[in-house]
Amino acid sequence: MVYQVTRTIARMLSGAIVLIIYLFQVNNRYQAGLSAAEGFQSLGQLMLLFIGIGIAVTIAVEIVFHILFSIGLAVKESVKNGSCNDKDIEKTINQEMIEDEMAKLIELKSMRVGFITAGIGFVSSLVFLALGYPVFLMVNTVFVSFLIAGIMEGFARIYYYKRGI
Amino acid sequence: MSKKFEITNDIRKLRFLADEMTQQQLAEKAGISRQTIIAIEGGKYNPSLELAFRIAHAFNVQIEEVFHYRVIESK
Repeated sequence: MVYQVTRTIARMLSGAIVLIIYLFQVNNRYQAGLSAAEGFQSLGQLMLLFIGIGIAVTIAVEIVFHILFSIGLAVKESVKNGSCNDKDIEKTINQEMIEDEMAKLIELKSMRVGFITAGIGFVSSLVFLALGYPVFLMVNTVFVSFLIAGIMEGFARIYYYKRGI
Repeated sequence: MSKKFEITNDIRKLRFLADEMTQQQLAEKAGISRQTIIAIEGGKYNPSLELAFRIAHAFNVQIEEVFHYRVIESK
């Protein structure tokens, strides 16, 4: 449980970092008062950039997480047995990484939570549009809801691992 | 009166009888992760029929010796 939960927390943190930096950037551009056409062009570029950043951050976090997890296992093994074997650590990680039926079911259920969150975000953006708010807000609500959906998916995953399904 | 169902298991007892087999060893034998064994043993997850058979096979016993189906009567 430790592996899956810790990995999910690491992913959520990376998602939260991307979300905060994105909101900060959008706020800066909004404060700069760009014209509608300019604003949308730069917003499109910013979103594409952040999709790339999101992927890069996720890969980096996964690598760092696995290094730290391996170190943690080695320390634990050393304390327990007085020595640590690389093969044992590799075996333990492979064992923890097995995606069995419970992991798949949890993934499906947590993805549903993510989809619902993204759906609520999309409907909210339409409500903003219908109420006469700027399109700028609508587009950002959609994008931010996708980022929040990723974080909510993580919360759901941790919940199912802790509580069971 | 409504009927509720419960699936319990004797994995802990069977591990003890199998020379205190660890959860890790059982997970390896059944081809699943240790967290799944923890969840099943703690009653937090009911495995599929295939996995239930695999666990029983890991102990070399019949499935009924591992998992029990119980009907709970409630008002």
